[in-house]
Amino acid sequence: MIPAALAIARVKLVLELRRREVIFAMLLFIAATIVIVHFALSGDTGAGSRAAAGMLWAAVVFTAVLGLLRTFAAEQEEGALDALLLAPIDRAAIWIGAALAQFGFLVVVEVVAVPVWWVLFFQAGGPSIGTVVVALLLANIGIALVGTLAAALALGARTRDVLLPVLVLPLVIPIVLAGVTATYGAFGEEVGGLRPLGFLALYDLVFVALAWGTSEHLLGD
Amino acid sequence: MEPPVVTLTECSKRFGDRLALRKATLTVAAGETIVLLGPNGAGKSTLLRLVAGLLRPTAGSARIAGVDATSAPRSLRAGIAYAGHRSQLYRGLTARENLELHARLHGTRDFDITALLDHVGLGDRADEYIDGFSRGMLQRLALARATAHQPALLLLDEPASGLDADGRLLLDATLRAGLGTRTQLVASHDDELPARLGARAVHLNSGSLA
Repeated sequence: MIPAALAIARVKLVLELRRREVIFAMLLFIAATIVIVHFALSGDTGAGSRAAAGMLWAAVVFTAVLGLLRTFAAEQEEGALDALLLAPIDRAAIWIGAALAQFGFLVVVEVVAVPVWWVLFFQAGGPSIGTVVVALLLANIGIALVGTLAAALALGARTRDVLLPVLVLPLVIPIVLAGVTATYGAFGEEVGGLRPLGFLALYDLVFVALAWGTSEHLLGD
Repeated sequence: MEPPVVTLTECSKRFGDRLALRKATLTVAAGETIVLLGPNGAGKSTLLRLVAGLLRPTAGSARIAGVDATSAPRSLRAGIAYAGHRSQLYRGLTARENLELHARLHGTRDFDITALLDHVGLGDRADEYIDGFSRGMLQRLALARATAHQPALLLLDEPASGLDADGRLLLDATLRAGLGTRTQLVASHDDELPARLGARAVHLNSGSLA
């Protein structure tokens, strides 16, 4: 299953490299969000820095939804999803391949966005970057898994562009809570130590198991 | 006697208020070629997608080699090929890259992709993105993809649409090559195709088999 998932992820990443449809839009969106909130907070470095930590997570989630809306767009152009469904592969490979690609998109976006966020909000010292990076990586896995699952659910719906955020956002609230808590902790505040990171890892495992068990049915008729 | 490869039993498919296929019963023996004929909207594509396991019947059953088509195991899917109205290819990839992906999904690197593309007349366009391909070229590439892994069951939905005269000859030759050796189910508007192939014709009208 892994070779098939990697082959599907590779195709999606190659297509994005050639077309630059998804990542470019995600980058613009997250950069605009960070800059707008920076001005909205008027450079407040007290409560504002905590708000900025929360804002990063909200921006990451909404940016991810933007990318997730295009999860199976390439497969729908010429009906390639039919070929994937008929291929002698575990259907979970289709979902894992798509989730891997989404994970890659998020990482690329954050590699650009997090330094911008840092420079704008934390000139006078911010949270421990290591903790934030680990939290983001764990969160990316969860968002990609859940988001791809929701994208598969919404695939046949005429109103999928509306349905997808409605499905995804409630499911990622635990990720945002744990991410924000981990980021506050990275300021040196005692808000649970490594527990938020542990929670994010557990969340990822639960959704791997859930999606693995349901992908056969989700991606069919 | 070998069991039938395809068995539809009182198989119906409804899309909303519309009954696309009405209690269709059909068996296709191993090695048999059947041409499905009928006007647009007769239910040919629905029937093929049910056999491919891409649709779930609303009532009745669609089975391949005795197994429910929608839950066909990987080993069975490895022997099925379906080419529908759309090419099932990735725009943004070249012709060669599309066939390479097909090979990877079938767990093999044994396909001679250059030979396949030459066979369907696309050898000199192998490394072009398919975005610029005409309908007929996409059909040729879809045919190459569908037959690359030498399926035991070939399902083609109006494969001649968009093909030029040479393309139609290629399609006829491909179908002839499969006579008796693989099971073929072809939806077509070409009333003469069954006679040309010496195949059984099955007529569909308004979702019902004649």
